[in-house]
Amino acid sequence: MKMKQTASQEIFALLETINQNLGEQVIRSYLQAGNQLVFHIPATSISQAATWLFHQFTDITLATVVASHEPPAGKNDAQFGVDFLFNIRQPQAWVILKIELPEASPSYPAISPTIPAANWFEREIHDLFGIRATGTHLEPLVLHRDWPRPGHYPMRKDYTPAGIPIAEVPHQFHLTEGPGRHQVAVGPIHAGIIEPGHMRFNVTGEKIHQFNVQLFYTHKGIEKMAEGKTVQDGLNLAEHACGMCAFSHSVAYAMAAESLASIQSPERASYLRTILLEMERLANHFWDLSAICQAGGFPFGAMLAAGFRETIVQICHDLTGHRFMRGINTIGGFKRDIANSRLKQACRDLLCMRKEFDEWQALILGKGSLLDRLEKTGVITKLTARNVGLVGPAARGSGISQDVRRDYPYLMYGKFPPTIPTYPTGDALSRTKVRIDEVSVSIRLIEFLANNMPEGPVLEEDMPSYRAHQPGIMMVESAKGSLVHWLVLDETGRIDRWHVRSASYMNWRGVAEATIGDNIVPDAPLVNKSFNLCYACVDR
Amino acid sequence: MLRMFQLWLQTTGKTLTLPRPKGGSETRLHSNPKEMLEFRRGARKALTRSLLVRHLDVGSNNAEEAELVALGGPLYDLAQYGVDFTASPRHADVLAVTGPVTRQLKVALERTYAATPNPKLVMAIGDGACYGSAYETSYACLGPVDQFISVDIYVPGDPPSPRELIQAFLTCKQLLAERN
Repeated sequence: MKMKQTASQEIFALLETINQNLGEQVIRSYLQAGNQLVFHIPATSISQAATWLFHQFTDITLATVVASHEPPAGKNDAQFGVDFLFNIRQPQAWVILKIELPEASPSYPAISPTIPAANWFEREIHDLFGIRATGTHLEPLVLHRDWPRPGHYPMRKDYTPAGIPIAEVPHQFHLTEGPGRHQVAVGPIHAGIIEPGHMRFNVTGEKIHQFNVQLFYTHKGIEKMAEGKTVQDGLNLAEHACGMCAFSHSVAYAMAAESLASIQSPERASYLRTILLEMERLANHFWDLSAICQAGGFPFGAMLAAGFRETIVQICHDLTGHRFMRGINTIGGFKRDIANSRLKQACRDLLCMRKEFDEWQALILGKGSLLDRLEKTGVITKLTARNVGLVGPAARGSGISQDVRRDYPYLMYGKFPPTIPTYPTGDALSRTKVRIDEVSVSIRLIEFLANNMPEGPVLEEDMPSYRAHQPGIMMVESAKGSLVHWLVLDETGRIDRWHVRSASYMNWRGVAEATIGDNIVPDAPLVNKSFNLCYACVDR
Repeated sequence: MLRMFQLWLQTTGKTLTLPRPKGGSETRLHSNPKEMLEFRRGARKALTRSLLVRHLDVGSNNAEEAELVALGGPLYDLAQYGVDFTASPRHADVLAVTGPVTRQLKVALERTYAATPNPKLVMAIGDGACYGSAYETSYACLGPVDQFISVDIYVPGDPPSPRELIQAFLTCKQLLAERN
């Protein structure tokens, strides 16, 4: 209790500090849901306020930017809201800078000139809502060039999709010209089994000068589809946002909803969720390590890592009945319990695998031909990593010690904090090493939790009603980095606005930064695989 | 694990030894057209036919892709059935399509289909590609794959298991053999 007191005092102190410094720029400010500091700011001074905030605190990151549309109701005029969501590590709090914009030609000064991480958010909001960020170039991002502009903004509430024609309009890329300069185009249909995306290299011989990437081919509009659905139906969409991090999305969504109902999952369910989140991390890391070996020209290591991944996926199937752990998590806990005997068996399987993994690790880290490919390939400096807002193993590989599990603990991570490996060099090798180290950490954590399982129910039966018109925010560390779910419900308990910011969304700009520089074209697949990002949960 | 690799190195040498031609002369296999024909017949009988697959993602959520990649891994080893993934649709017998068709990938779907030579088969993998019903309210999705190109084999699932996928690929081989 005493701890809680001091924590909330710190948050109030933070509220005061920000209020004093922003001064007259704040229209009104308040604390909601225990840890959300909300500042209403006039649209014209958002850039100034966000810049001050971002440079004032060293442990602050831009989590996401969420726009929402409120259609006219009664005497209220229609308007847009844009929420700039920052997270501060000490004290643990969300800082929300909120601006409101009129229906007619909404615009605000862009924050991306000083906070480059905001670039994609501004472009996405312009595409989907038609809200302009002034002072930056709003290149089409989510909706490709054939989408009719202006006039068709799908995320506005009054938008009706009515037969928008599909035309082949070529993409435009920022490329340089010079003697011997030419372009290499890759995708959207790749040579391997990868999701669709178009990459355009600007090269002289083998040297890469410019690298442009065009994503959002698989944009399915799931955020819009969720609107008007019940919270339970939304969970299904969240699970299908991504295949590789399905369970992380599921937990993030469920916990955002739980925070709106002010409930917590029972202790046993929290243990199980933590175990399964770590299982998913293992599956993803083995997948990534396999891809890195493959791209680095070492198929033997790749095949073994793929074998490890298959083992993990089969354990997941054994525990939950689904290879990607869909359909077991729900709001308030788990739909069914997992027997202790199964968890013990899973631990035994993990232990066997771990011995093989140790051998694998020695093999990989002693393989000169592979290390030669990984070292000094795709370097990202710490400064660049912070500026573009990298998350997860990519950030930790650039020397940024950052992990949601330790910094903003949730579930059992507060009680049993994992050790966070960091490597300073920022190349493909350090990103590989981060993953290798995290595998051992995860296995230890799973073993510990499975051997200390509390008994009890796994589902919170008593569900109070959800708070309306207030965001439920949850950040979860998936294998690729932090992902944020933002959930707002209306009075009837249906979804008003749901926003997903996945880990890959932040890291794609890292791939672009890492590819240019000292690399040649054959390095590009390796750089890409050292991040090994999803497309599906970026495109949504 | 490493011991397994050494074992494999030892055994492969043995299994790969080819029987010497009769008479023991240095006749190479392709020098005699008659022998070559016999060899081809024998090989075809023994190996039936191969199947090259081009994977085509038109809006899936990465789960189907994960399973397709797993098929190439050490456990399922799809190559043992004579099935392999190819980089170009021009070499493909089968298009393995995943996901409900998004509007930004419709052109890619049609072009890849056109680039695949006949006779070709189309396989719709996963609930999205087979039914697309979960996405019918979306402004960015157009519908299941069979609204745009004719589909020969449906493999529903969320995603379908590796075993179902292997079965589907073997069915593809059968279908192609029947059609020829």
